[in-house]
Amino acid sequence: MSLAARARTNWSARSRQERLGLRLLLPVFGTVLVIATIPFILAVIRATTADDGRFIGIDNFTKALGNTQLYESVKQTGVYAALVLPTEILLGLALALLVHRTVKSVALRAVIYVAAMIPIVIPQIAIGVVFRLVYAPDYGILNALLGDTGHNQILWLSSPPLAMLSVASVDIWQWTPFVYLIMFAGLQTVPVESIEAAQLDGATSWTQFRHIELHYLRPLLLLVIFFRIADVLRVFDHVYVLTGGGPGTTTEFLSLYLYRVAFRFSDLGQASALAVVVMAAMTAFYTLISRFLPAEKG
Amino acid sequence: MLRMATRVATGLILLIAVAVFVFPLYYLVVTSLKTKAELFAAVPTLFPHAPTLAPYFSVLVTRAMSGLLMNSVIAGLSATALALVVAFAICYPITRLPVSRGLRTFVLNWALSLRFLTPIAVVIPYFTIVRAIGLYNQLPALIFVYALFNLPLAIWMLKGFLEEIPLEIEEAALVDGATRFHAFRTVLLPLSGTGLLAAGIIVFAFDWAEFLYAFILTATPKAMTFPVGVQGLVTQFEIIWNDMAAGGVIAIVLPVTLMLFARRYVMTGLTFGVIREK
Repeated sequence: MSLAARARTNWSARSRQERLGLRLLLPVFGTVLVIATIPFILAVIRATTADDGRFIGIDNFTKALGNTQLYESVKQTGVYAALVLPTEILLGLALALLVHRTVKSVALRAVIYVAAMIPIVIPQIAIGVVFRLVYAPDYGILNALLGDTGHNQILWLSSPPLAMLSVASVDIWQWTPFVYLIMFAGLQTVPVESIEAAQLDGATSWTQFRHIELHYLRPLLLLVIFFRIADVLRVFDHVYVLTGGGPGTTTEFLSLYLYRVAFRFSDLGQASALAVVVMAAMTAFYTLISRFLPAEKG
Repeated sequence: MLRMATRVATGLILLIAVAVFVFPLYYLVVTSLKTKAELFAAVPTLFPHAPTLAPYFSVLVTRAMSGLLMNSVIAGLSATALALVVAFAICYPITRLPVSRGLRTFVLNWALSLRFLTPIAVVIPYFTIVRAIGLYNQLPALIFVYALFNLPLAIWMLKGFLEEIPLEIEEAALVDGATRFHAFRTVLLPLSGTGLLAAGIIVFAFDWAEFLYAFILTATPKAMTFPVGVQGLVTQFEIIWNDMAAGGVIAIVLPVTLMLFARRYVMTGLTFGVIREK
């Protein structure tokens, strides 16, 4: 029985309890809400004033939005997302189906479960270190394994098309297990009876997936996309360690671009304008996609 | 016959997946055990010929990064405690009292929306605030921002745990004449222990791993956290690979250990309570 239904049976008790709820919730939540909103307001103020405190209107915004580098970084972020999201989802889903169908041993499943969680909990900085040891020239193990240590070795992190792929591969390495875990958990919720019925009807592995399992996985797929998009839009740490946004600006994603404007060029006016635009865009984007979210709405 | 072939094929695929997955981590550990001499071998080696713990000593003692480790622990524990207290204060009314559905949904959705806020966009104005109020290069600045940023996760995890504790248990105490606070302290709080611990571990692991805020809001070893120190090892003029690897290993050990303890709750935390371990 829901709280509301329970409370309806006793109106006077309800109003008293509801008042108590508001008295407890509003001061704390209100404070948090204000604190969380302050950076946005300050960014607006900083973006519209000059260093000497003069109001300068939208100059910083026109400067920020007129900079082609911004669109370049948005484009790179898009390419990165287009590389990692489909790969992680397809690979994670395929592995989940494979283990679900073929690995029946409970112990082995438990081992895979724990192992798959390892990359997810590793700090991004350490992931950067790990893959520097893999991709770096001279000392990187990948070139050594390929038998290439001389002058014409492959520069995984510093030749334009490869750097993007290398950085993306790190994301795929770290987050495919996350997709796997969610998909595998989803597959466990598929009722055994419907699978057995389908198999009696002679369903193939594919039709079983397409017509039964996918139905149960769909909300989880949306969830994965939601969380992965949120992460891809903020990606910074491992790229900073691996390429620093280079070569040139070929792996300079949105976060790295904002970092450069704010803390390398120390143009806090323009950076604040960018921050306002990004915060507003993310909020709008969240509002847009959150309605598709399977998460309980409270 | 065909069955046998499929089995071998799937076994092979899984084996390759595991190898690709494990090898980089293996190589990290191996590198962290190498001597300096071995680093300069023409071809990098796959096994340490004379395993040594010297790189760990070098990182923690010679480079004095144990201090950064301490900062990470202090910042992480304080921020976790703060986030849990605030999250509990928010979750108690929305799960135990008849707060209107609209308000409840608003609180939860707002918390989820924070997940979409890009840290770099927030740190730009936050940097100005922190400098203005004299908290630059001080741990409290980090503690505060970590607590705020992990609040959504803490709220969603605690909400899930609190919903699982039947209202009747508390009501029984209330009927027996206990005050609401007394019922909270003697009945609900002890029952929330597991939930608080699980949420605490996950939140702490996130604080521990955080890099960007610490990178921008600190400048000296006084307040720098361990990940910032590790990043420093990477970009130094001459890269000392074994020290860098040792730093990486140290950064990894704690969250992985915590994960082993809290493994039933990791996915719950990462998916804001959607995936539940049975």
